[in-house]
Amino acid sequence: MSSAYDAIVVGAGPAGSSAALTMARAGLKVALVERGTFPGEKNMFGGVLHRLPSLEEVFPDFWERAPLERHIVKKGVTFMTGDSTFSTTIEAGNFDRPPYNGYTIFRPRFDRWLADEAVAAGATLITRATVDDLVIRNGRVAGVTILDRRGELTAPVVVAADGVLSFTAKKAGLRQPTFDPGQMAVGIKALLDMPRELIDERFGLVRDQGFANEFVGCTGGVRGGAFLYTNYDSLSIGLVFHLGSLRTSGKTPYDLLNAFMEQPQVDKMIRGGRLQEYSAHVIPEGGYSMIPELVGDGILVAGDAAALCNATGLNLEGINLASHSGVLAGQAVVAAHQAGDFSRNGLDVYRRLMDDSYVLKDLKLYRKAPHMLHNDRIYNEYPELVCGMMEYIYRIDGAPKENLSKLFLKTAKEKVGLKNLAADAFSAWRAL
Amino acid sequence: MNIDEIFDYTSFTIDREPHIVLDPQVCMGCDNRGCTNSCPARCYTWSEEEQKMTFVHDGCLECGTCYIVCHRNAFTRWRYPRGGFGVAYRMT
Repeated sequence: MSSAYDAIVVGAGPAGSSAALTMARAGLKVALVERGTFPGEKNMFGGVLHRLPSLEEVFPDFWERAPLERHIVKKGVTFMTGDSTFSTTIEAGNFDRPPYNGYTIFRPRFDRWLADEAVAAGATLITRATVDDLVIRNGRVAGVTILDRRGELTAPVVVAADGVLSFTAKKAGLRQPTFDPGQMAVGIKALLDMPRELIDERFGLVRDQGFANEFVGCTGGVRGGAFLYTNYDSLSIGLVFHLGSLRTSGKTPYDLLNAFMEQPQVDKMIRGGRLQEYSAHVIPEGGYSMIPELVGDGILVAGDAAALCNATGLNLEGINLASHSGVLAGQAVVAAHQAGDFSRNGLDVYRRLMDDSYVLKDLKLYRKAPHMLHNDRIYNEYPELVCGMMEYIYRIDGAPKENLSKLFLKTAKEKVGLKNLAADAFSAWRAL
Repeated sequence: MNIDEIFDYTSFTIDREPHIVLDPQVCMGCDNRGCTNSCPARCYTWSEEEQKMTFVHDGCLECGTCYIVCHRNAFTRWRYPRGGFGVAYRMT
């Protein structure tokens, strides 16, 4: 199975397929190597697909052709404590007009389609191929070997788009040899079948409109949150936990998911849903400080492999960043082919393109967010405070009222302490 | 919803050969064993009686959690399954 290519891409996810597509369109001979039986088979996420400026450029009819579910017009945040919730929602007319701000998607469909587009552009897709090792020649990455297959695939450059644990980047010495659980999260998700009409009715949606909601205060004291998204005729519901916190909590993800789904207000939203699939994946949430070396001799790192994930607590971005980095990596490889230089220096244009892109700019801007989110009060005391205050405000039972600002300070003092409140407000202000 | 059933809804092509192998000595000396509660697919079980960690690769979702939470690096092997094997999501 020895073959020579102009470039090898490890992993046919959003980063890898975007890179392969970009390079194939520029006329390069590209191998796109995927360990699943088809691209997307191994992939899950609990999120929304946002705009993809770089792909839209190489691919003007992207949104007409991609297999999408609903476009998100309504976004909510729910604070939860016990059997009480306080929710805020925004539904914007602008979110209901193209270009839409975000879509729900199914990864096994979307990723497969994107890889097929790379193939249509001329890339060679090799599935059922788990990359085992890098081929190193003269100190440079020069290809890959595949587990249980003889021979090697060679190319002057490899794009490591093999996901959050990126063993490819590790073998090239570009990422840290071990991960800090404090910089990682795990997301788990249940997919529930539900008739389309019921979803429309229950969440106040028409046409292809979708709803996305995040929850905080529902993770049994473990740092994390929950999400609920509407697809055409199913709901995606799940939890995300910081691994540093989950590890020492003694709690299990599935028991916490069960408790969440049984919470009375959540139960009402998902009632009638039929379980279809359960999935899980680690998410790199360390932000800017966690990003590995993006460039080595004969190798570039993109997507989750480069820890390109922006989790500020309100928005969760990943696929858009992955895809963007893939396109830029592809452009850098094309430039390196023109210059005939695949050394770290020759490929460094990728780093510069990334520095100038919204990907690294945003991650740099929100570099303090991961630290801010490492605060147990966000997941326990604040949801309690918010729900408690709102319940008090709306309770009318003949008891004389207290001055609200005084009451807020009193409750805040009890629940979190004023010093903490000030420190947390300052930390959030600085991070966001 | 019965949580015991949740694991039955995911499809797998099971390889005979496990993609993750533990050094039982390391697990025995571990003071944390965060893998047992953190693994979303409950693949890790610690038996107090036998002082032994058991890992069952059949239901592994290949999520990466154990690779991150194991601070003793108890793995003599941690790789993804061979091509074509392991978890197979259909629509998630």
